Amino acid sequence: MTQFAAWIRTPMAQALGWALVHFVWEGVVLAAALLAMLRVFHAAPARRRYALACLALAAMPAAFAITLGVIWALRPLAVAVPIHWVAAPLADGPIAAPARRFAWAMIFDRLAWAVPVWAAGVAFFYARGLAGWVAVRRLRHRGVCVASREWQTRLEQLCARLSISRPVSLLESCFTDAPVLIGYLRPAILLPLGCLTGLSAAQVECILLHELAHVARHDYVVNLLQSLVEGLLFYHPAVWWVSRVVRAERENCCDDRVVETMGDARAYAATLAVLEQRRAPAAALAANGGNLMKRIRRLTTESRGAQTSVAPAASAAVLLVIFAAALTALPAKLPKVRHAHTPASAPLAAMAVAAAAPLPQQSAAPMSTPYRKWLLEDVVYIIADQERSAFVALTSDSEREKFIEQFWQRRDPTPGTPENEFRTEHYRRIAYANEHFAGSVAGWKTDRGRTYIVYGPPDEIDDHPSGGTASAYPYQQWRYRYIEGVGANIIVEFVNSDGSGDFRMTSDPAEKQRASTPYRKWLNEDAAYIISSEERAAFLKLASDEEREQFIESFWQRLGEPFREEHYRRIAHANEHFSTGIPGWKTDRGRIYVIYGPPDAIASSSDSKSILWTYLRIDGPSSAHVFIFEDPDGRGDFRLTNDPGAPHENVPLWDAAPELSVRIGGHGVVTVLVPLGPSPDRFHVYMEITSNRKIVQVSESDVSGQAVFTKSIPLPAGQYRLAAIVKDLASGAVRRSELNLDVVNGPRPVWGKASGREYGASFPPW
Amino acid sequence: MSTPNPLPRPTDAELEILTVLWSLGPSTVRDVHETIARRKPTQYTTVLKTLQIMAEKGLVERDEKKRAHIYSAARPREWTQQQLAGDLLRRAFGGSASSLMLGALAAQRASPEELAELRKFLEEYEKGKP
Repeated sequence: MTQFAAWIRTPMAQALGWALVHFVWEGVVLAAALLAMLRVFHAAPARRRYALACLALAAMPAAFAITLGVIWALRPLAVAVPIHWVAAPLADGPIAAPARRFAWAMIFDRLAWAVPVWAAGVAFFYARGLAGWVAVRRLRHRGVCVASREWQTRLEQLCARLSISRPVSLLESCFTDAPVLIGYLRPAILLPLGCLTGLSAAQVECILLHELAHVARHDYVVNLLQSLVEGLLFYHPAVWWVSRVVRAERENCCDDRVVETMGDARAYAATLAVLEQRRAPAAALAANGGNLMKRIRRLTTESRGAQTSVAPAASAAVLLVIFAAALTALPAKLPKVRHAHTPASAPLAAMAVAAAAPLPQQSAAPMSTPYRKWLLEDVVYIIADQERSAFVALTSDSEREKFIEQFWQRRDPTPGTPENEFRTEHYRRIAYANEHFAGSVAGWKTDRGRTYIVYGPPDEIDDHPSGGTASAYPYQQWRYRYIEGVGANIIVEFVNSDGSGDFRMTSDPAEKQRASTPYRKWLNEDAAYIISSEERAAFLKLASDEEREQFIESFWQRLGEPFREEHYRRIAHANEHFSTGIPGWKTDRGRIYVIYGPPDAIASSSDSKSILWTYLRIDGPSSAHVFIFEDPDGRGDFRLTNDPGAPHENVPLWDAAPELSVRIGGHGVVTVLVPLGPSPDRFHVYMEITSNRKIVQVSESDVSGQAVFTKSIPLPAGQYRLAAIVKDLASGAVRRSELNLDVVNGPRPVWGKASGREYGASFPPW
Repeated sequence: MSTPNPLPRPTDAELEILTVLWSLGPSTVRDVHETIARRKPTQYTTVLKTLQIMAEKGLVERDEKKRAHIYSAARPREWTQQQLAGDLLRRAFGGSASSLMLGALAAQRASPEELAELRKFLEEYEKGKP
């Protein structure tokens, strides 16, 4: 249960939850667009209206998937993003709004449970669909009787008229009370018993034509897909409405086909009426009835499809434009929401948003330099997180202009007067900081500059230009009598430890909200890859070092001592083996190693520029994950080049060396594949596996008529060199290829769930 | 015939034969076998045997006056249909199966009001017919 509770707070579950929420308005927009289009094209032929409805229905899962993708792509990255340790020390602005954050957190807490509820609903609808499918299959075999030869022949003639090449069987069934079509590959028309004898031949032909029209139009497949969409987004009435429109228009399409072929619309309408009357009377439950009368009226009064209306392409384009507009509106809304449900990691989210801002799809008019400067320099210390994300979401310069105006207005202590004292004072402080504290960086960027801008001039400054008893370096102490929201009698100390003139803050007045160096290192280095975003947020909220100490202790306690030992061993291993210009744990290989541990197999190309790590059984018994690192300039700085997000089954491990490839199975069984070529020639294959220059295994075989030669060998852990020599016996050509292989089957003590956490159980897509 | 015979529910094989009998009317074993064999390969003797069992059960009646025995269903199809439909059809049709089938008529039956409207339409149609 606790695992479940933890799961619903994972980024994937959160993204799903928000995608479900966003689909509420997306579904309404799409359904409204369809409604509008149907109004416009009320006189259009049924097949155009059907195409429109299908497009709207298909757009729904597409919108849902795109939303999910966008939210997932923009989610605050909690693991393995270097932003953490370069994140600017942005103190919260003076007007943070805790009440609103709380409300969002509450909503999100509820929302998290929406995902399992939704999943259960989807499971229900799909299970129900499966049961229905089984029932339909039974219908085809139970209580049926082949129709007479005459009708079978007539059906074949009708098939030919509609250019249907698949054989369609005609059965009488004692279980249906209406003619139905079932099956796609082997379609069968089921007629109620007595239908063939009780109706006139022309009437039966009408019905057969209607069902055959379904076959010719591939409606059965569309209908299946439609059921899948209904089940997936079952909670939205708009989906059911659009689906109903699709069904109704589909029948209209087939009606039109029948009339086109038979000619007499009124006779066909009468057939439908007779058929309905022959059914058993309606059960009380199904009192809302069908839409048959509507169809009959349509058939008998309207001139169906006679008018030539706007080309379907044009109408589809209109729908697409509406849909695209809805989608572009989405990212603009996203940052607010996303930001709000991760209150504690807000600075990170803001950074991520700020980083994402220049993306083309983010806004219609990308933020130009003056506005970016305003956000990232002028007000960087005082803007609230919500304001920051709102600003980033703006799409035009006029909106930004207005936002800035309102930003200052909100802070104006005397709103009625033309003078904004807050604004004037703020820019004065920036100017002062730039003038007095500039060193190797601009004055406003220094610790003293930031303190001055945020808290104003101190009430007292204690300057010790030549150090003091406690410190060998020059230092300054700033005293504030009172800082709102922080406390009374605050002393901030700045030390110039390297004599450069850059005074560094040694105690922050907002210390309560900030962690001191060892704890920050713990958060951003030691635990960077394994701490969840929730835990990180909780950690950042802690007010004292005692609490942080406790947090760290319980963090490791939860994971268990072996986990902790293994974790630090991995970091040490990474630092020892992968360090280049940067510490080993920060490199791509280091990151993978720290998160997933030693790989099961390592293979390297013969030029040593590519390395390939394979992990087995990360997600399940039959899956493997492959990481490919490349170092094109040979500096030892291997970069991850593939996206191992998707699990592979029996991965062909070696793309780089097409002459020879290796698959690694469970229990250290290595399968070597030697491609021979498409010709059916005879080959002689010599294969040699060596370890430390000692031959481990040699195999020789003659192969013919095979494109690939495979050999499976159990190999214990160790380093191997594989060599294969292939001789084409017809031409005498000889080919040699080699591969280094490192099989690592060492025990992985902290793998799995023993520690209470799945160590590296999921793959974050990097 | 004051109390309806508690006829046993037909098995799937028996049901198929009943369906053929309802569709063709009274038929010889040969007719029944021919129809069934067009859907799936079946032995003549299997059909004969099944028909004999069904006659014992009372599901079919046998007319022995002619040289080739003529079999007919003991009950009209509506009767068996109701017996079977009660459990299967309602569940299958009322549930999700209906949305997986395509048909000229909606899965939901017409309401009484709609039926009345249909009747009116048909009457007008018959009148308008030349």
